[in-house]
This record gives sequence, C-alpha cells and structure tokens, in this order.
Amino acid sequence: MPAAKDIRVLVVDDQMSIRLLVRAGLQQIGFTDIVDAPDGEAGLKALLDRPAHLVISDYNMPKLDGLGLLRAIRSHEPIRKTGFIMLTGRADTDLVQRAVQFGVNNYLVKPFTVATLKAKIEGVFGPLT
Amino acid sequence: MDPMESIKATFFLECEELLGDLEAGLMALENGEGDDETVNAIFRAVHSVKGGAGAFGLDDLVRFAHVFETALDRMRSGQIAAAGDAVKLMLRAADVLADLVQTARDGGPGVEQQRSMAIAAELEALSEGRDPAPANADGELAIDTVPDDAGIDGLDFTPQTVSLDLPADLEAAAPAPVGWRIRFRPNTDLYAKANDAAFLLRELEGLGECQVTPDLSGLPAFDDLDPEVSHLAWEIELSGECSEAAIREVFEFAEGDCELEIAQLDHHAGSAALPPGPDPAGPEISLSDANAELMAELPGPVAAPVASDKPAKPQAQPASATAPAQATIRVELDRVDRLIDLVGELVINQAMLAQRASESDLGRSNGVSMALDDLEQLTREIQDSCMAIRAQPVKSVFQRMPRLLREIAAMTGKQVRLVTEGEGTEVDKTVIERLTEPLTHMVRNAVDHGLETPGERKGAGKPEEGTVRLSAVHRSGRIVIEVADDGRGINRERVRQKAVDRGLIDASAALSDEEVDNLIFHPGFSTADQVSDISGRGVGMDVVKRSIQALGGRISISSRPGEGSVFTLSLPLTLAVLDGMVVTCAGETLVAPLTAIVETLKPRPEDLEKFGPQGRLLKVRDTYVPLIDVGVRLGWRTSGTDPAQCVVLLVETESGGRAALLVDAIQGQRQVVIKSLEANYQRVDGVAAATILGDGRVALILDIDAVISSRRAPPPTGQASLAKAS
Repeated sequence: MPAAKDIRVLVVDDQMSIRLLVRAGLQQIGFTDIVDAPDGEAGLKALLDRPAHLVISDYNMPKLDGLGLLRAIRSHEPIRKTGFIMLTGRADTDLVQRAVQFGVNNYLVKPFTVATLKAKIEGVFGPLT
Repeated sequence: MDPMESIKATFFLECEELLGDLEAGLMALENGEGDDETVNAIFRAVHSVKGGAGAFGLDDLVRFAHVFETALDRMRSGQIAAAGDAVKLMLRAADVLADLVQTARDGGPGVEQQRSMAIAAELEALSEGRDPAPANADGELAIDTVPDDAGIDGLDFTPQTVSLDLPADLEAAAPAPVGWRIRFRPNTDLYAKANDAAFLLRELEGLGECQVTPDLSGLPAFDDLDPEVSHLAWEIELSGECSEAAIREVFEFAEGDCELEIAQLDHHAGSAALPPGPDPAGPEISLSDANAELMAELPGPVAAPVASDKPAKPQAQPASATAPAQATIRVELDRVDRLIDLVGELVINQAMLAQRASESDLGRSNGVSMALDDLEQLTREIQDSCMAIRAQPVKSVFQRMPRLLREIAAMTGKQVRLVTEGEGTEVDKTVIERLTEPLTHMVRNAVDHGLETPGERKGAGKPEEGTVRLSAVHRSGRIVIEVADDGRGINRERVRQKAVDRGLIDASAALSDEEVDNLIFHPGFSTADQVSDISGRGVGMDVVKRSIQALGGRISISSRPGEGSVFTLSLPLTLAVLDGMVVTCAGETLVAPLTAIVETLKPRPEDLEKFGPQGRLLKVRDTYVPLIDVGVRLGWRTSGTDPAQCVVLLVETESGGRAALLVDAIQGQRQVVIKSLEANYQRVDGVAAATILGDGRVALILDIDAVISSRRAPPPTGQASLAKAS
C-alpha cells in the first residue's frame, strides 16, 4: 500500500485560495511532497522539470486549461503515466466525459471534503497507509 | 490565524482582483473592445468566485454566481450577444456580486435580497432567452443548495488506477543512466544577461565527473571578435547517477539564452544518443585544464568570463525547479508601514550622525567621510525602495468609479460615459486610500451638478450622453488628477448670488471669474437648490478641499459656461518625505516645501512698497507680490523686522498666486522625513507638519498656502482656514 508521504502531488489552479485549500487537505491526509502551479502551462513545465506521481488540476485556467494539461501530460512519454485528478464544478458532466477520453484517472467535484479528496486519490492509487 | 481563516482571507483578496477583471472585461465589451478571450476571462472570474465561495460555504454568493455564470456560459458559446443590454445587465450583476462578496467578507446587513433576486431573475431570463419574469414568490432561485461531495449524478465513471512503484518511477521514466552527454551552446547574449558559462560548468562538476570539450568553431577571427558576446560552445560528458532534471536545474536560469541538448550516455556502447554536432576543435580536456588552455589560446576578454573566479551570482543559484516563478507576494500593509517608519528614523539618524561627525571633525578623516557618504547613499536607496513598495497605480481608485457613475446616472436619469486616462500612474498607497472619498464626491458632483439632463444637452446642441473624464499624470514630482465634465459649467451668477445670500461676500464685491468659481470651496457652500440624494450628504466641496489639503495636496477649478468644468488635484507622491528649504525665522528653524518655492532673493529697500495700513508689497521684476513676514504670521514676533536684513522666498500657490515670504536666513536644502504634528501634538495654524533635523531638533514644516491665505480676511476665495479645521 502506498504511503501518502511518498507520493508527490502537483496542484494546478489559477486561484491561490483553491491551491491552498487542496494543499491543506492533502497535508491533513498525510501528504508532504506537494508542489503547485498557477496554470496549465506552468504545471506542465513543473512536471517536465520534476515529475510527480499525481496531478490535481482545475479545469478553468488561463494559458492552458485542465484538459490541455491532461492531453499534454499523456503525450509526453516520460510523464505519460502521471495520475490525473480533474477538479470540476458540479454540473460539468460534459467536461468529465471529455476528460475520460483523454485518460483522466479521477475527478473531484468542488466543493469537496477532505474525506472525498482522500477517497478520490485512493481511487487512483488504492488504499493509502 | 486559523489556517482556514487565512485561506479565506486569501480568497477575498483574490475576489477583489477577480471582480476588477470582471468589471474591466464587461466594460471592454460595452465599448465594443472585447473579443472571445475577454468573454472567457469574464467567465473565469465569475467561475473562480463561485468555486472559492463554494469551498467556504458562502451559499448566497454561490447561488448568485451560479446564475451569473450560466448566463456567461451562454455568452461564451455565442448564444447571447456580448454587447448591448446583455452586457449592461451583467455590469449590474457584477455590482451585485461585488456587494455579495463584501457582505460575505464583512458581514453586515447584506445586499438587498430583492435587488439580487431581481438581477438573478433577469440573468436567468437572459440565459433562457425569454423576457424577464419576476423572481419566484418565495424568493428562491432555481438552484438547489450547493455542497456536493458525492459526484456528478448519472455519470458512469470508473476511476483509472495507476500502479505506483514507489519511488523508482519518479525520477524520469528511464533507468538511471550511467552518464550524460550535454551539448551547451550559449546564445550570443548569455553574458549580457548576467549568466556565466564557467559557473554553469562548475555547477555541473558538482553532479559528477565532467569531461568538457570546448567547441571553438564559432570563434571569429581576432579582428572580428566582439569581446562582449559569447562565441564558444561546450560538449560535456558527465558521468554519475544524476537525473536529467538535476542537469536542467543547473541550466535553469540560462535556459532561454542557450541551446541545450541532453542525451543519455551509453558507456558500454561508447556512443551518445546525441546526433553529431560540429566537430569540436579542441582536444578533450578536463574542466580545470580547460580554463588554462583557453587562457593560453584566446584573447583575454573572451576567456575572462570562463576563467573568472568571482563568486556565484545570486541569479545563477539553483532554485527548486518545481517552484513556479513568483511575480508578486502579498504582504500585510502594517509590515510595510513599520518598515517605512523605521527607514524614516534611519534617515534622521543618518543625518544626525553626519552632522555629529562633521561637528567633531571626524568628517575630516577620509575613511569616515567616505563611509558616511556611502551610508547616505544607501539610506537614500533603501528609502526609495521602501517608497516603491507602497506605490500603487491609481487604477484601484479609478476602477471604483464606473460603478458609481452607473448608479448616479440611473438615479438622475442622465447618460454618462466615463473616460479614464493614466490609470497606471503610481502614487503612495496612503494617498490612494485617502483619495477615494474626495474623488468619489467629485465624480458624483460632476454628474449631479455638472452634467445636464439628456433633454437639456440636446437642446444645447450637445450629444445626449455626457462625458466625465478622469485622468492622472505625474508632473514635477507630484501626481495631478483631473476630473473633467462636458456639462454646463459653473453658473457664476448663481454661485455669486448664493455667496451674497449667505453673507460670504459683499453684494458689491468685485470678484474675478476664478474667485467666483473658488467660492464653491467655501465651507458650507452648496449650489444645489435642494439637497439631493446624491451630492447632498452634508459634504460640500470645502470638505473635499480640506481632505486634499490634509494630504499635502491642492485643488483648483476651471470652468467654462456651457462647456464644462475641470477640477484639478495636485498631490505629493508620498506622504513620508519632503524636499524642503530649511530656514531660520525669529530664532526658530522652519522647513518650506521646495516644490512651492520659485526663487529666493535678498530684497532691496527700494523694491518695498507700503500697501494699506499693514500690508507691504515687494517688487519682483516689475510685478508686485504681497510680502508676508512668516515670523509675524506665525505669531513669533509682533513687529516686522527690517526686510533688508532678511531673505525672501518667492513662493507660488496651486492657483498660481505668488507671494514673498520673509524669513531671517536660509540654512540649506534638505530632504526631511515628515512627522505628523497633529498626531504628536496638535494642529497649528500655518504649519503642515513637523520633522526632526540632523541635530535632533524639531522643525516645523510650513503650510505655504495656509500662510498666504490667512493674509486675507475674510477669505473671498474660500480658503479653508486651518484654525477652523482644528
């Protein structure tokens, strides 16, 4: 079983408050290796510089949106297998369906609780210790 | 602070930016300047407000933002035209959203439910392409409560699992290489950007053993050599088990300024994955030898940066590769203010030190005086840098005005267009903060009193839509802000009549147009026949004038009947320091603001004229200006001294009037740190503030305009007297 502290997570959102929230949630679960980026472009760059196991990304962002980031990750061989959880608003069924086509691993509806966040991550990696 | 509370505070700060973007975008659309990206940005702004609000359980905000977002989504997909009434509605919706955010942040009575409901209903109607219907009777919007953890209903989704072989699969997907071949070719301007190839190569050595081969093929003939550009390239074989990311980290700051190829080296096969580059001209040599070889082979200038042993430049220090470049940080204002305060003390202390040193002859010692000069220089720079932290574009005030204008226009039935210029002009944050209220009042006045109704305008042959122009510009160390309207201008007859009615002026008084216009700044003067909802809030132009003066600023008006009025504010860029002329007067030390002084001169007896029982005039190049003995004016002496023994400061007021201020002697020019006299003592007539001089004594800073205006009694130009204000 993977331990949260061994998993590096990249949080991508153009809102600092959401990044902080996700980070706080992750820390509560036991994650320690957390980096963030303010948009898809910066997220991709961060990932290419230093891979992560999991990306939690918003959809609506300037420069490169969440779907764009997902597609870019899936087409860059070294980081192709990075786990990807899309943050989405409540009504975005379309978005999730499109994200599935591009190989999203899971989705997370805003607003969310820490328990949901954990469940969504465990949906990708299996139970965390 | 509770971490959640601090994140929430971050969210509200974000909201301010988002709401600003929202309004700016909508206004661009209204002016026909927007495009698809504008609509996208607007949508993102509302979406982000909604997202954050949801996270903090701000349900009212979420509900409204949701309806707003839905309408914007339709606009984004082209179902609603991004122009006309739809945009006007969205501007009003943006106002409601801003109010809801404010309520969520500050608590309080909240937005009128009815208003937000009505706008929401209109937005819903817009989204659905029907005529607006009244909001539901129960006042509930057609959206249920928001929090949702479970997921999206009816969506068939299975999470895609990823197997984690921790931590092996992290550092590059490939097995750890035995080595790397790196080809590094700096662009010509690498050195100009404060990078240093030698430093980068040395950094690489820290990752493992390096074999460096210089590529001299780009080296021009000696006559063609430009010593400031980079001509060399290097191929480096790096052995060791470092990751590609670590190598890229070394080149992080040079990335845009060089060609960099990194390929895995297969020692067993003896070939690198890189395609062959230009043949290296030199033999393979190790890095330490490379410098020596280069020094021997190359002319100095090119070799110098390579061989230089200067310490690593801060820019080149590797930072965490994953940390995104942070363009701004948020700092609590208190901290900045504390810093500014301390720097103010430092400046004073430095001045005192310099003075003590020179008094004790220590200044003669070369070392001490040089060190003191350096200290002064540094102190100045620190001070300037601190001031720059506080400087903000006036945009933050200007961007409140469109909404204000919309509201007043709606209340008065007038049509107004706002034009802003120079929004990027920067000024101290305190000035900005204290500018909001007077400026709001002036803009309100411009619409309420200045502009005519559409009917009147049409009758006068003007476009029905009036224009209010708000502009800011830096002019000789001050910021000048103008509020101009193209309305009816000041009705001088009425102003005059009012002033006579109120006993402010004598019915027979002969006043210039300028003087009549300035009557509106007189305390208690209001030109509106009835106190209206909009301008008549018990605040007259005299209060505006006082608040501007309290900022060390000046206000003036120029008006043309039928064409409009221009209010001009001139404000200091910072409230913390002042360039002053230090003078002696009646045994006291005073500071006169340098900006007000036109020239200084020694009066000649033949240029002095008596004027009335007490007044005296001084002839300066064929014009007479009133001569004011500062010592008498401030009550430090009763009888005037002999002007021939004194010095005159020829000063100019904001309205262009000149006066000659008589002081005993000039000590010199100095930048002084302003200390509030009001906060530490009390308000003194004719004195703007105080400062501490190098010798530790307190000196008063003259309020030139007040000193001059107190000469006149009663004041026909309505100068607010300091005595009354205190």
